[in-house]
Amino acid sequence: MRRQLRSRRAPAFPYGYRYRLDDQDEVNQNYLADEEEEAEEEARVMVVHDLEEEEEEEEKEEEEKEEEEGQGQPTSNALWQKLQTVNEYLWDPEKRMSLARTGQSWRVMIRPFAHSLNFNFNVSEPDTWQHYVISLNGFLQGYNDSLQEEMNVDCPPGQYFIQDGNEDEDKKACQFKRSFLKNCSGLEDPTFGYSTGQPCILLKMNRIVGFRPELGDPVKVSCKVQRGDENDIRSINYYPESASFDLRYYPYYGKLTHVNYTSPLVAMHFTDVVKNQAVPVQCQLKGKGIINDVINDRFVGRVIFTLNIET
Amino acid sequence: MAQKTPEIYSVELSGTEDVGKTDTGDGKEKYRGLKDKRLELKKNHQKEELKKEVDLEDHKLSIKELERKYGTNIVTGLSSTQAAELLARNGPNALTPPKETPEIVKFLKQMVGGFSILLWIGAILCWIAYGIQYFNDKSSSLDSVYLGCVLALVVILTGIFAYYQEAKSTNIMASFSKMIPQQALVIRDSEKKTIPADIRLLSTQGCKVDNSSLTGESEPQSRSCEFTHDNPLETKNIGFYSTTCLEGTATGMVINTGDRTIIGQIASLASGVGHEKTPIAIEIEHFVHIVAGVAVSIGILFFIIAVSMKYYVLDSIIFLIGIIVANVPEGLLATVTVTLSLTAKRMAKKNCLVKNLEAVETLGSTSIICSDKTGTLTQNRMTVAHLWFDNQIFVADTSEDHSNQVFDQSSGTWASLSKIITLCNRAEFRPGQESVPIMKKVVVGDASETALLKFSEVILGDVMEIRKRNRKVAEIPFNSTNKFQLSIHETDDPSDKRFLMVMKGAPERVLEKCSTIMVNGQEQPLDDSTAEAFHTAYMELGGLGERVLGFCHLYLPADKFPETYSFDVDTVNFPTSNLCFVGLLSMIDPPRSTVPDAVTKCRSAGIKVIMVTGDHPITAKAIAKSVGIISANSETVEDIAKRLNIPVEQVSKRDAKAAVVTGMELKDMSPEQLDELLTDYSEIVFARTSPQQKLIIVEGCQRQDAVVAVTGDGVNDSPALKKADIGIAMGIAGSDAAKNAADMVLLDDNFASIVTGVEEGRLIFDNLKKTIAYTLTKNIAELCPFLIYIIAGLPLPIGTITILFIDLGTDIIPSIALAYEKAESDIMNRKPRHKKKDRLVNAPLAIYSYLHIGLMQALGAFVVYFTVYAQEGFRPSALINLRVEWEKDSVNDLEDSYGQEWTQYQRKYLEWTGYTAFFVGIMIQQIADLIIRKTRRNSIFQQGLFRNKVIWVGIASQIIIALILSYGLGSVSALNFTMLRPQYWFVAVPHAILIWVYDEVRKLFIRLYPGSWWDKNMYY
Repeated sequence: MRRQLRSRRAPAFPYGYRYRLDDQDEVNQNYLADEEEEAEEEARVMVVHDLEEEEEEEEKEEEEKEEEEGQGQPTSNALWQKLQTVNEYLWDPEKRMSLARTGQSWRVMIRPFAHSLNFNFNVSEPDTWQHYVISLNGFLQGYNDSLQEEMNVDCPPGQYFIQDGNEDEDKKACQFKRSFLKNCSGLEDPTFGYSTGQPCILLKMNRIVGFRPELGDPVKVSCKVQRGDENDIRSINYYPESASFDLRYYPYYGKLTHVNYTSPLVAMHFTDVVKNQAVPVQCQLKGKGIINDVINDRFVGRVIFTLNIET
Repeated sequence: MAQKTPEIYSVELSGTEDVGKTDTGDGKEKYRGLKDKRLELKKNHQKEELKKEVDLEDHKLSIKELERKYGTNIVTGLSSTQAAELLARNGPNALTPPKETPEIVKFLKQMVGGFSILLWIGAILCWIAYGIQYFNDKSSSLDSVYLGCVLALVVILTGIFAYYQEAKSTNIMASFSKMIPQQALVIRDSEKKTIPADIRLLSTQGCKVDNSSLTGESEPQSRSCEFTHDNPLETKNIGFYSTTCLEGTATGMVINTGDRTIIGQIASLASGVGHEKTPIAIEIEHFVHIVAGVAVSIGILFFIIAVSMKYYVLDSIIFLIGIIVANVPEGLLATVTVTLSLTAKRMAKKNCLVKNLEAVETLGSTSIICSDKTGTLTQNRMTVAHLWFDNQIFVADTSEDHSNQVFDQSSGTWASLSKIITLCNRAEFRPGQESVPIMKKVVVGDASETALLKFSEVILGDVMEIRKRNRKVAEIPFNSTNKFQLSIHETDDPSDKRFLMVMKGAPERVLEKCSTIMVNGQEQPLDDSTAEAFHTAYMELGGLGERVLGFCHLYLPADKFPETYSFDVDTVNFPTSNLCFVGLLSMIDPPRSTVPDAVTKCRSAGIKVIMVTGDHPITAKAIAKSVGIISANSETVEDIAKRLNIPVEQVSKRDAKAAVVTGMELKDMSPEQLDELLTDYSEIVFARTSPQQKLIIVEGCQRQDAVVAVTGDGVNDSPALKKADIGIAMGIAGSDAAKNAADMVLLDDNFASIVTGVEEGRLIFDNLKKTIAYTLTKNIAELCPFLIYIIAGLPLPIGTITILFIDLGTDIIPSIALAYEKAESDIMNRKPRHKKKDRLVNAPLAIYSYLHIGLMQALGAFVVYFTVYAQEGFRPSALINLRVEWEKDSVNDLEDSYGQEWTQYQRKYLEWTGYTAFFVGIMIQQIADLIIRKTRRNSIFQQGLFRNKVIWVGIASQIIIALILSYGLGSVSALNFTMLRPQYWFVAVPHAILIWVYDEVRKLFIRLYPGSWWDKNMYY
């Protein structure tokens, strides 16, 4: 429950809390405070964490110096281990996510890779689309059902997969099986629809450690023609059918502990697109508090690409 | 018409080889036709040589020939139409001011000088790079165009700034030169009159001129109509423009006007000669060469490395630009200008007006000062120095205000003497000066009489009133044949009907006329022993270099000379012998009271003071001794010879420290002999020299690698002033030509002001070292990011534009603040810097700044950078060789050390945060750098952390500018700044403290082990 509280508070705080890993109690006290009180206490807490951070940074410098000196012999084994721990886990998910980023919102990216995000191929010429297929196949290797079943757990859908415990404990990852992608899994159609002019494009959200979709609602994906005739795309199938990223894949605990984490995907199957012309497509994340109209960064909550399928 | 065109002098310049023989004026003359003249002048201007000989033949022509030549008539003059024609052809009778460099040329010079050329190259490379990029890919980003524009803008802005600074200091000069009292050209209401043009005298009556502004001879010279000398400067029938007619009248024909006068030619000649480069200009050039050398060689080295590491050539060019920008201290030259002008202002307050900013420092490196005597070392007025009466020599007070006359005034002899002094004197105060202190009152009369008038006014009170009471009935003025002056007065005692005859003059002449001498108020017969005493006193006073006058009087018996007696000075119907000798009085132009102290300071500062004067050797030596130019215990060869009673030739030259050299001796010396003289003797007086010889002396000193300061006031001094490393003109006595030629003007004509100037100059040199060391330090911190970026492939730690914000933003005020730093120790107790050995930027300075503090700073800034990246998710190990992926626009899910994924824009933003962090890291450490640069040897705590308040203004400015950049302009993406988390500002603090401690340790060891390896290599 504490975790939950903390996690829900965190995104609202641009500079968040920093705490020392060996001093968990103090932190917990902070987090146990009422929300209203917290707002009032913000200033005080900020001061505290500033001081702490300085200390930490000095520690970090020391440790860097020691690195320069060729791993100077630690006088005390305990100290050395502590330094190692600090070194490894100094960057707590919550701490990190509240750093001076451009804003805490999901970025998205698509697969397969395409130069300048132009999907330009000729159905009858496999050479023009073969590299997409290879790219997707490669990308989905990690999602193979057997691998997922072996490495990851099947956790209950519809809720966050919170794993309490020490920072340095390994975390379990939820299964995201390739078969979830149905027609776009490449299992039935190894060409992911490219051979029929119905290309599959996979959309994933960039991983952010500790970050969760807002307020417990899954984020949905919706694509449409960005500019031009909306009827250029007559139908899109999404897999999983919910077209959303299930909450159970969040939060992400970072690759140090969350070793086998596989990003959830939403596959977009463009089953009926106008051929022989460039169709600009914009796929957006939809959900409460999702930002998808930033101009500087064109990958915040959306991705724009063009489909130009020739027959 | 051509025949009638005035012949114009040409000014002949001869090479150094015949310098020795042309100065006294009896050298050969050269006759040049009118047609040669312009060509000749041009040639002369091109020659750098300054020796001159005047060609003029008008003084040899008869009056008839002159009339023919100038087409005029000596009785009727020119017709008005002729005059108008001549005016139109020759221009008005005025000197053209020296040519100004056109403003646009000055401006362009600023645009390409110093580092500007490097930055221009950088900017052009940027544009070329963009051009190529654009050619390949029409959508390429405008970044490099933008950078090029910024670089160009920086050059233009710093250029404008430097230009503005220079213009401002020139304006200060202009406004000051208005304040410099200009000698009035014509003093109509007095007896003095300045000659308005070069004139050939046609008739004269007791005419005397003061040619000092031209030839430096202070003695008045008589003028007549006869052609007496081949040399126009020596002949008596020419009166020169700007010289003063002291007495008598003369009529003459104008033969030359304006620039064609002798003086005009010398003036224009001197202003046409190029200046020597100032030592500080040489130092700055040296420094620019070092920095540019480092920049270009590192740039090219890494260009090659980058190309061989298979970077694109275009990228490599961008790296090259980054390296150049990081290496070039863009703001430094502007800072130096500001620093110099601050010092110039400070010096102006102390009566040293610096015309050329760079000359500020030159004075500090001066190792020889060739000083004038009259006016500079002395007060430039005759003053009564000694009296001899009652067989005793009395000393009079010669200080500037005469306030303290302590000699015994109770004797009856003094009563008589004072009466003679008062009455036998034609000088008078100019009316209307009641409120002016006596010593400052303007007097009409010659120098000796003025001295006597002021002397008696100070001691006796209202002299005019005394004279009124003792009405003058007859007078014979002084003339050179009589060598005495005589006047006859009624006495102020109504019961005494006798007339009093008073006489003063050359002592031996006066004594001849005396048969008695007054001792203790009683007349005694003049016997051999008293005559002996007189001679001893006369020789002694004369030996002091003083001008001695004898005084005698006679009460004319009332029976022979009744009240109604009519005295006739032409027939001399009164006795002029068997008078009663009363006393002697000697006068000297006394040294300024501040000068001995100033000379001592110069001496302890290792500066050799050489006196160069036109005066008599004895006078010169006496003054030199009294001001300490010849110190009390040093002797000349002649002194030793006299003491040991041996011939001069037998004296070992090594025994003598001092030397008095006359112009005649100097004339016969070869340059080698002069060099020997200058090196062998530490105390040298040149007497009876002509201004031309001053130039020879200056050149001699410069051959010893000395930085020579020369003072001068006459027009003829201007070549020497130009030739000197720093020419110092006298503000009050100096001619315009001298002021134009000089680098500095002493507003109060006081030698002591030079010493304050030296002090300021040395201080600024030290402080410039500190400024440069401060500025150079961060270059390494700015450079390392590029090198590591190229080699290790980290995301770029600091952007080019960010670097410019350090160089031209946060660092500017602090580096100027160092100019306000006080001296660490008594800078006047050390030797002047050797201009070839003690460089502004020496190896220890460069090494310590670049490799010690610079590297520490780079390390500290990298710690901040790595901290920021690590906290964002990129640990240092993950950053290695990340560059290619990092910069790829198409990669929008780059994974960090924690598995998070970053879009290109996010990375860009993080990169800018890194820039800001690196910037802040440097800024914080530059605060420590600023504090450590306050001293080079002493501990900061010895110097006082808070004594220089401007430093703290500098530190505050750094922090405020950085805060504004980060939080105020953090949202302007073009500037590449972001809002940095508060705690990142403190990451570099431990490093800053480390820098401080490190430098304190360095200074401690320097102080503990002077002369050690450490001292030699760590003291900059």
